Amino acid sequence: MVATIRKVGVIGAGTMGAGIAAQVANAGVPVVLLDIVPNGANNRNALAEGAVARLRKAEPAAFMHDGAARLVETGNLDDDLGKLADCDWIVEAVLERTDIKQALYRRLEAVRRPGSAISSNTSTIGLKVLTEGMGEAFRRDFLITHFFNPPRYMRLLEIVSGPETAAETVAVVAGFADVALGKSVVRCEDSPGFIANRLGIYWLQLALIEAIDQGLTVEEADAIVGPPMGIPKTGVFGLMDLVGVDLGPQVHASMRGVLPKSDAFHAIDQDVPLIGRMIAQGLTGRKGKGGFYRLDRSGGGRSMLAIDLKTGDYRPERKPVLPEITAAGRDLRALLSAPTKAGTYAFRVLAQTIAYAATLIPEAAGSIADIDEAMRLGYAWRWGPFELADKLGSAWLVERLTAEGMTVPPLLADAADKSFYRLEGARRQYLGADGTYRDLVRAPGVVLLEDVKLASKPVLRNGSASLWDIGDGVVCFEFTSKSNSLDDKTIALLGRSIELVKQKYKALVIYNEGSNFSLGANLGLALFAANIAAWGEIDKALATGQQTYKALKYAPFPVVAAPAGMALGGGCEIVLHADAVQAHAETYIGLVECGVGLIPGWGGCGEMLTRWKAEPKLPRGPMPAPAKVFETVSVADVSKSAHQAIEKKFLRPTDGISMNRDRLLADAKKRALAMVDGYVPPKPPEFVLPGPAGRVGLNAAAEGFHRRGMATDHDLVVADALAEVLCGGDTDIIDTVTEQQMLDLERAAFMRLVRTAPTLARIEFTLETGKPLRN
Amino acid sequence: MQTYKAPLRDMRFVLHELHDSAALTHLKGLEDVSPELMDSILEEAAKLAEEVLLPTNAVGDEIGCVLENGVVRTPKGFKEAYDTFRTGGWTSLASDPAYGGQGLPESLNKLVEEMICSANLAFSLYPGLTHGAYQAIASHASDELKDRYLPKMVDGTWSGTMCLTEAHCGTDLGMLRTRAVPQTDGSYLVSGSKIFISAGEHDLTENIIHLVLARLPDAPKGTRGISLFLVPKFIPSADGRPGPRNGVVCTALEHKMGIKGSATCQLLFEDATGWLVGEPNKGLATMFTMMNSERLSVGIQGLGAAETSYQSAVAYARDRIQGRSLSGAKSADKAADPIIVHPDVRRMLLTIRAYTEGCRALGGWVARELDEMERSNDPDARKRAEDFTALMTPVVKALFTDLGFEATNIGMQVYGGHGYIRDHGMEQLVRDARISMIYEGTNGIQALDLVGRKLPQGAGRMLRTFFHPVSEFIEKNSAHPVLGEMVKGFSKAFGALQLATGQVASAGMADPEEAGAAATEYLRLFGLVALGFMWARSAVIAVEKLAKPDADAPFYKAKLTTARFYMERILPQVGGLLVAIKAGKGAMMEMDEAAF
Repeated sequence: MVATIRKVGVIGAGTMGAGIAAQVANAGVPVVLLDIVPNGANNRNALAEGAVARLRKAEPAAFMHDGAARLVETGNLDDDLGKLADCDWIVEAVLERTDIKQALYRRLEAVRRPGSAISSNTSTIGLKVLTEGMGEAFRRDFLITHFFNPPRYMRLLEIVSGPETAAETVAVVAGFADVALGKSVVRCEDSPGFIANRLGIYWLQLALIEAIDQGLTVEEADAIVGPPMGIPKTGVFGLMDLVGVDLGPQVHASMRGVLPKSDAFHAIDQDVPLIGRMIAQGLTGRKGKGGFYRLDRSGGGRSMLAIDLKTGDYRPERKPVLPEITAAGRDLRALLSAPTKAGTYAFRVLAQTIAYAATLIPEAAGSIADIDEAMRLGYAWRWGPFELADKLGSAWLVERLTAEGMTVPPLLADAADKSFYRLEGARRQYLGADGTYRDLVRAPGVVLLEDVKLASKPVLRNGSASLWDIGDGVVCFEFTSKSNSLDDKTIALLGRSIELVKQKYKALVIYNEGSNFSLGANLGLALFAANIAAWGEIDKALATGQQTYKALKYAPFPVVAAPAGMALGGGCEIVLHADAVQAHAETYIGLVECGVGLIPGWGGCGEMLTRWKAEPKLPRGPMPAPAKVFETVSVADVSKSAHQAIEKKFLRPTDGISMNRDRLLADAKKRALAMVDGYVPPKPPEFVLPGPAGRVGLNAAAEGFHRRGMATDHDLVVADALAEVLCGGDTDIIDTVTEQQMLDLERAAFMRLVRTAPTLARIEFTLETGKPLRN
Repeated sequence: MQTYKAPLRDMRFVLHELHDSAALTHLKGLEDVSPELMDSILEEAAKLAEEVLLPTNAVGDEIGCVLENGVVRTPKGFKEAYDTFRTGGWTSLASDPAYGGQGLPESLNKLVEEMICSANLAFSLYPGLTHGAYQAIASHASDELKDRYLPKMVDGTWSGTMCLTEAHCGTDLGMLRTRAVPQTDGSYLVSGSKIFISAGEHDLTENIIHLVLARLPDAPKGTRGISLFLVPKFIPSADGRPGPRNGVVCTALEHKMGIKGSATCQLLFEDATGWLVGEPNKGLATMFTMMNSERLSVGIQGLGAAETSYQSAVAYARDRIQGRSLSGAKSADKAADPIIVHPDVRRMLLTIRAYTEGCRALGGWVARELDEMERSNDPDARKRAEDFTALMTPVVKALFTDLGFEATNIGMQVYGGHGYIRDHGMEQLVRDARISMIYEGTNGIQALDLVGRKLPQGAGRMLRTFFHPVSEFIEKNSAHPVLGEMVKGFSKAFGALQLATGQVASAGMADPEEAGAAATEYLRLFGLVALGFMWARSAVIAVEKLAKPDADAPFYKAKLTTARFYMERILPQVGGLLVAIKAGKGAMMEMDEAAF
């Protein structure tokens, strides 16, 4: 077996195969993508090439940057099998038919390098079946790697190995999937549907038939088996529309044949006439003519319709009125206890889903922790079934199940007097099948702030941020406010942190485990302050932010920012002021202030100018750098990946990218420690800028957009303010502008804009709708 | 004696100089409404108030209304006064010309209302309620109902009521029980009992049109299950004349502290025929469409009573001689000096004057924005005006009525024992003014409306309509050559309002009880700053006018002095209010319920 994977082959250029190839390329690893030669095709590579073309246009994007697409080599299975010879790992993602797969495997055996790994992305066929009759070498190198769609964004990878699969082969593939592809690997037993889909299929079918039985509307069902349970708001019916209404009968048919007779799935595996009718009418969900929901565009309007589960007819979508959800609040047990049909529905779906999950050990999964992880990452549940069981209390759950005459599986019955998870000191433990608790062990090299927080107290803390000691002289600054928005308390704690690190620590990492690094300054507070004309306060908040970010930049110790998810506005500016960045690959970064009628006010303008000024490819002179920054900032451009952020100069080419979200903190810490010895703070920049003439030039560009209807009246006002700052105000090309002068210009322009009515209207609209107002 | 001469000079100042009445002609339907026209209407209204309404005030209080065999008789003189009022066209002033109204602006109408309230607060309720009912019908009823009822209500032959309160529910109307059962002909049969119904039954008009909140048979519980019905006392016949008597009777008159000339009735509806106004189950929203205007009118009741109290107190203070001036005798020829020489009497008089003129100016601003909201051609301006009036409604309602009551109390104090006895009418003003703090939403409810609904809306969007003009004024005038110091002081009070607003918003967001605990003080602080703004703006105008030789110097000098008094002696109260607001709910919520 090879020690690392340097090249990958993917066979089958369908949605999954192509997506897997793209993610391998995103990791910077060359990949060969092959598919069959279509009948009568002129271009023998049409399938693979077509797949790459689709990947380039996919929304959300499959490739993280243009360079990644160039790492995908396309070909066909007749002419190009030889291209697999130097692949360390070959992923099969062809039709779900054993005969086709095995025939392919036999052809691969002839060309592949000895010891290379072969895996199937099958979701329905077992490993035992796939390896039956295959040679010993194949069985040693073969495993199942079950990706979820879309492979770039879904973090779950289920891996199934056989009794003969070489342990090191599994380790190398799992390691690559983890570090290079950024996946969280869950090991599964060789059983139908593995873990996530096995439970997911049961849950969806149960929720469907119970909704019909209880006489609920689709909106009600989705509101109940949705956010209150930590399940995405697509709920049940929205999810079926998303994956395809026709998928249900297909997977049920395959499960029906392979699940043991004792499996609880059979009890709910009933034909739902409505589904049959919907499929016959082409109502297969979002890919078809509509599903349980349908967007009605008739009459020029856009209104959402929902299906009536009794009649199968569409009617206008109705916001469900479910007081039991509001009344229960966060108390899930209260919701499940409500003596209403909503309460009954919540109970019947969730309790039976948890009970079913408890029957999957050891047949499908090794531990409850694996099942929970699979559901969190594969179905985007906030809590796995056993975490939900802990919220309800196992004893209560067992009692209710018994009272309702439902089966209580042994695992659940045994847990009746305890919780599935517990905290032992600082260690999180889960309940094993034998009734003893075991430590939840992170993969080697994974450091989570979540664990640090369980094990220690913050070094500093206020209502908006905390500072944590993550060992080896490194501290981690964490935003803790809602949406990780930045306010005066965040800035104040950052200031205090800088002083403390100076005295006691070696380096600072700025990182958090929210879904977004930061959406920027707290716009609600800013708008309120503006509405009450608290101009002095706003100006002070700007000045304090500028000075604190500056202090961060020139601090006598290395600062590494480690963003993941969105880093916008003030959240982007803090990244710009760090000495180095270790970014998660899925980082979406940008200076979006213009969208709300403002400009960057915490030093973003100067930092971006510095970066573009240093770009050797730009023509000389004072104008090109401001023009480049103007281009990006005036349209509130946001990078769609960390790689793209480098192209847009929100990140430097020298900054690091971590593919696995869980490894980001460790990688950032390592980067910070590597900078400690001989660290010298940066030198303050000086700018030579074009002044008023440049401003006129940039405005002319903006007016061009305005004439073509691509910029609004207020866009011009905002663009002019940005242009004024970027061109250095009243400067002249024979003068130099200091960093502080840039900050002052930025602040003055910001203050001017925040006093205009259209800017306030934009902020209010964005706060209320999450969308930009084009006024 | 109650003394009242309509303060026409100050009204003209508010209308024309402070709020630029000339610009009203840019608004839809007001193209021909010139300042001169408005002045002449004000003069006519003044005559009516002084000569027709004022003489009925004391006697109305003395006699009150009487219920006999289901018939209510208003006090002697009311019917004659009402006929003069009606034939003079005063019921139709601000109504739609489509129904026979004169289509005049609220800016003017609210000043006329003030005069009526000053002259006879109890009387003001009859046309006041009619106008409220008129607005609800005009905005929401079917054309058929509008055509049948509005012309008679506009010309004052018929009057109107608003039937909301029941014995067990006032503030929380979600609990109300009156029922309406649909009939095959599209009408409804309304049954239930209502209390506190102003002008519910009387002898001033030939018919009374009740607007009644009731529940339909299938209505949801709570406030979302209330509908509004029009129930006439006499069902009009096809030719528009009052026809058969409907199933509504007055079962009792409430025994009240004041406004005795106003018939406050208990009404019993028994299968009374009514018609739906607006959409089913949207009755509250329908009824409250005209809330901003109605609540401003109630605020003006406080102002009206305060003005009469002021004028009466001044007359008495000039006339009454007691003691000698502390700086030496001023009327050596008399046994004593008139009490107007004493600092404390002057404090009292100036306090009332600062209140009344300040409130008149602020009320004028809100009325002006009501016109803007109804009639501007610019949708942004309409939206801004809507925000402003919504924001300021609870402030003016509660502030004007709190200060109005306080003012009548001070006026009575100036009279000493002669104020407490009934002969001079000063205690009547106190009693009459007191109700305005209670009805149309108690002042506590107003404060909750301000902090709970108006303040957080759109991250403070409504606040912008007040705070931005104030901030711009301060920036423009902080270096004012004459008033710089005054503006600086005002700016400090505005700073206190900004702080308090931030405090209430942030504490209230985390804990609604904190907002509730701060509400009343916050509203007062807001109101005092709003009056301060009016006084500062008035002072700037006064200084400009005084710079010209032909100016009406005594008026502007008095304006300037009163502004100074307000800024020095009243506005500083905001400091104490801020401290109280910051203290939070602690003590009041900590107290054990049993310990009260």
